[in-house]
Amino acid sequence: MENWFVNIAHALTNWLTGLGLSVGWADFILLVVQWVCIIIIVTLNVIVLIWLERKISGFIQQRLGPNRLGPFGMFQTIADAIKLLTKEDIIPSATDKLIFRTAPMFFIIISVMLYVVLPMGENMVIVDLNVGVFYFISVGSLTTICLLMAGWGSNNKWSLLGAMRSVAQMISYEIPLAFSLLGVIMIAGSMRLSDIVAAQSNVWFIVLQPVAFIVYFIAATAELNRGPFDMPEAEQELTAGAYTEYTGMRWALFFLAEYTNLVAVSALMSTLFLGGWQGPFLPSWLWIIIKTYLVMIVFMWLKWTFPRIRMDHLMSFSWKVLIPVTLANILLTGIVLQLFKGMGW
Amino acid sequence: MKGKGLLEGLWITLRHLFEREITIQYPEQMPYLQERFRGCLQFDYKKCIVCGLCTKACPNNVLSYESQPVPNSKKKLLLSYTIDLQYCMFCNLCVEACPTGTLYFNHDFELSEYQRDDIKIVYEIPRSAQAVISEPADSPIEMVDSSAEPAPQPDEDEAKKQKQINAMITALKKNPVKAVSKLVESEAQAQILADILQADEKKLVRMATMMIEDREKAGKVALAFVNKELKDRQQEGGAGNEPE
Amino acid sequence: MLQTEQYIINIGPQHPSTHGGLHVEAVMDGEHIVDSIVHLGYVHRSVEKIAESRTYPQFVPYTSRLDYLASHLPTLGYCQTVEKMLGVAVPERAEYIRVIMAEFSRIASHMLFVGSLAIDLGATTGLIYCFRDRERIMDLFEMTSGQRLIASYMRIGGVSHDLPDTFIPAALSFINDFPKMIEEYEGLIVGNEILQARLKGIGVLNAEEAIEYGVTGPNLRACGVEYDIRKVDPYGIYDRFEFDLPLGSKGDSWDRLLVRMQEMAQSVRIIEQALQELPEGEIKAKVPRIIKPEKGSEVYHRIESSKGELGYYIVADGGEKPYRLHVRAPSFVNLMVLPIISRGEKLQDIIANIATLDPVLGESDR
Repeated sequence: MENWFVNIAHALTNWLTGLGLSVGWADFILLVVQWVCIIIIVTLNVIVLIWLERKISGFIQQRLGPNRLGPFGMFQTIADAIKLLTKEDIIPSATDKLIFRTAPMFFIIISVMLYVVLPMGENMVIVDLNVGVFYFISVGSLTTICLLMAGWGSNNKWSLLGAMRSVAQMISYEIPLAFSLLGVIMIAGSMRLSDIVAAQSNVWFIVLQPVAFIVYFIAATAELNRGPFDMPEAEQELTAGAYTEYTGMRWALFFLAEYTNLVAVSALMSTLFLGGWQGPFLPSWLWIIIKTYLVMIVFMWLKWTFPRIRMDHLMSFSWKVLIPVTLANILLTGIVLQLFKGMGW
Repeated sequence: MKGKGLLEGLWITLRHLFEREITIQYPEQMPYLQERFRGCLQFDYKKCIVCGLCTKACPNNVLSYESQPVPNSKKKLLLSYTIDLQYCMFCNLCVEACPTGTLYFNHDFELSEYQRDDIKIVYEIPRSAQAVISEPADSPIEMVDSSAEPAPQPDEDEAKKQKQINAMITALKKNPVKAVSKLVESEAQAQILADILQADEKKLVRMATMMIEDREKAGKVALAFVNKELKDRQQEGGAGNEPE
Repeated sequence: MLQTEQYIINIGPQHPSTHGGLHVEAVMDGEHIVDSIVHLGYVHRSVEKIAESRTYPQFVPYTSRLDYLASHLPTLGYCQTVEKMLGVAVPERAEYIRVIMAEFSRIASHMLFVGSLAIDLGATTGLIYCFRDRERIMDLFEMTSGQRLIASYMRIGGVSHDLPDTFIPAALSFINDFPKMIEEYEGLIVGNEILQARLKGIGVLNAEEAIEYGVTGPNLRACGVEYDIRKVDPYGIYDRFEFDLPLGSKGDSWDRLLVRMQEMAQSVRIIEQALQELPEGEIKAKVPRIIKPEKGSEVYHRIESSKGELGYYIVADGGEKPYRLHVRAPSFVNLMVLPIISRGEKLQDIIANIATLDPVLGESDR
C-alpha cells in the first residue's frame, strides 16, 4: 500500500518507453498525468473542506451543519457547485472587463502552482526543487495581485477598499512568514522540502521551533485572508469586499482558490513542522493527509472563535510584534546551532 | 499573560464542538409549544351569541359576521363568520372580549397558503344548526325548516304579528296534526297534542302565539302537554294508546 | 503633487450589520471618517397616525411592535400612561408581574445586544450563544402570553392572564443558570483581547454632549452620569426594589458594553426580589370597557426602556380614540450622536459604534 502511486508512476513510464517513446517524452506525459492528479486532488479537497468547515462551524455553534443531502450532508457541496454553475453571469458594465474576468483565473492558477513542490508521500514530489520553500513563499505572495485586480476591476468603492486592505495586510505579513521559516531552514540546512522532511526523522521541528510555528500560523492566516484577519472580505462590514461584484462561477473560483491555498499552506506546515509524511503503521500519503487536515481544523477553529482585527492593529501587530519575534528567533536558532556544532553534536 | 482571553475563548468553543446539538429537525420533529401558544384563530359557532364584542375589540377589522335578527326577540341568528387572517396581529384582544369563549387559538402555526383568498377563514353556519340562544354545545336546538310553515317575517310590526298568529290558529284548527308535527317527536304525540288543542280554544291560541314568538318555548310546552296527558291517561286506566 | 479626494460611501440601508434599515452616509478620507450623516425613516410605519384611529385598548398590540426586541417595555409604558390619565390603580399582583416581565425583557434585549455586537465585529459564534440563551426567556414569554417575541400581554389596568404554574420554576431555573451564561459571554466575547482592542477608546462620548443631545439609558450611564428613571422618577413599584446602577467612566464603546453586561445582573436581582414578594390577588383592575378620558387632558409618562427613556404623550379629546399620541423613542435620539462619536475614526469603528449605541429601528422610525 505504501508504494501504490510510485509503482503506478513507474509502470506508466515503463509502458510509455516500451511503446517506443523517448525518455523525455515519457517524462513529459507523466508530468501531464501528475498535473491531472493535482487537479483531482484539489477538487476533491475543496469539496470535502467546504463540507467540513460548515459542519465544524455548526458543531461549535451547537447546531448541525448541512445534514439533509446525503449522509451527514456530504452532497451539499455538490449541490452548491451545481447551483453556482447555473447562475447568471452578471458583469457590471462599467468594469474593466479584462482585469475583472482574469482575476479569478489567475488566483486559481497560482494556488494550484503551489502543489508542485509539496511532498505528498515518500518519493512523491512532482518537482523536487532545491529552492522548494523559497518557490512556495514567492508564488504564494502573487495572490495579492489577484485580489487587487478583483477590487480595481469591479469599479466599486467597497471592492476597492477591500482590495486596498488586502494588499496592505498581505504585504505586512509576508515578512514574518518568510522569517519564521528561516529557523527551520537553518536547522535542516537546505531549502529542499524532502531534505527538511528527512531532517525531522528524530524530532519534529515543532518541538525545536515552537515560536516559529505560532508565528507562521498567524502569518499564514493573514496571507489566506481567513479567520481573524479576513478584513478584505469582511461580510459584516464591507459586504463581501473585493468579491462583491462577482457572481456564480467566478465567485466560486475565488472560493475554490482560497481553499486550495489553505490546503497547500496546511500541507506545507505539516511538512515543515510536523514531520511531513513520516509516521508509523500507516502509509506515508495517508499520514500527510491526516496532518494536513488536523492543521486545517485548527484554522477553522480559530476562524469561528475570534472577532476581526482592525486594520491598524493588524499592521502594528505584524510590524511591531511579529517581526522582532522572528528576528529574535533566528538569532537564537543561529546561536544554539553554532553552540551545538562547537560542542560536536 | 497577554493572550489569556483568546485562549479562554478557544477553550469554550472547543468544548462546544463535542457537545450535543440543541437544534431540532423540523418538520420531522415539531417544536414544543406552550399551552397558551397563539397559533390559528378558531371559532366555535355553537357558543356564539352574536354580541359583536369581538369585532369591536379587534384593532384591524379582521373579524366580521352576517346575522339575521330573530323576530320578536333581541337574539340573533348567525349566518356566517369570517376571519381575515392576513390582517390578524394575533393580539388576543378578541379572545378576551368574547364572553362565552367562542374564539380561541389552537396550536397550528403552519398557516401559509398558495392563494391569497385561501387565507380568509369563512364559517358558513348551516341553517339546521343555528342556535338562537347560547346553549351548552351538546344540545343544539333544531331549527324549523322555513318551508313547512308560514315564514316568520323579520319586521316586528304588531299588526303583522297578529296576522301571523291568526294564520297559525287557522292552520291549527284546520290541520292540527300537520301543524304541530314539527314540535313533537312522533306521530302519536302529534295526534295527542292535536286532540288537546282542539279541545281547548284558549290553549290553541296560546300555542299559536308561542309558535310565532318563541319557538323553543312552544316545543317545551307542547311536550309538557303531551306528557301530562299521557300520565293522566295512564292514571285513569292504563288501557289505551301507548305512545312509542 | 498627489492629491487625495474625499469620497462618500453608503452604509446601508441594506447591509448585514445595520440594525434594521439604517442608512449612514459616511464622508471618508482614505480609511478615516470625516463626517457622517444618519438617514432614518426606512422602517416608518406611521404608528402615531394609526393611533388616532384606534381606541385606547386597541392600540396595545401596536406598542409591542415599537421596540420588538424587548416587547413588554413599550407596552408597559403605554398602559401606565393611560392609567395615569384615567387615575386607575393597578392591583399589587399585576404590578409585580409587570416588573418581572419588564426586567426579563430588559435581559433579553441586552443579551441580543451582546450577540449582535459580537457578530458585527466578526465573532459569529457569540450571536448563536446569545440567541440560545434568549430562547429560554422566549419560552417564559410564551408560557404567560402565548407569543414569544411580540407579546401584547399587558392591558390597561393590569395584565391579561395570570402566571401559569410552570412559570415560577422555569424563571428560577433561568436565574440559576444565569451566572454560567454570563461566564460564557465573558470568556468568549468580553474577555477577548481582539474585541477589547477594537472597543477601548473608540466612540468616546463625553457627559456634557450626551446630556445636550438627550441621550439616555445605558449610553448615558456609560459616560458616568447617574440617571435612571427607575431611580429618579420611579413608576409602578420600582421604588420597592434594591438594585445598583452600573456606571462607566470614559463613555467609550467598551464602557457601553460593560454597563449593559452588568445591568443584566442587576435585572436578575430585581426579578429575584419580585418573585419572592409576589402577592396573591387580582390581575386586572376594573376599567370601563369604553375608555373615554376627559376632553383636553394630556399626559406624558416615561419609563426606563432597555435603550433609554421611552415616553408616551397622549392628548385626549373626549372621544374613545386619542387625538394625538406621540412616542418619544430613545433610539431616535441616541442615533443622533453617531456623527459626533465617529468623527476621525475608521470605517470599522463606525460599525462598532452603531452596534454599541444599540438602536432598534422599529422604534426610531415608529
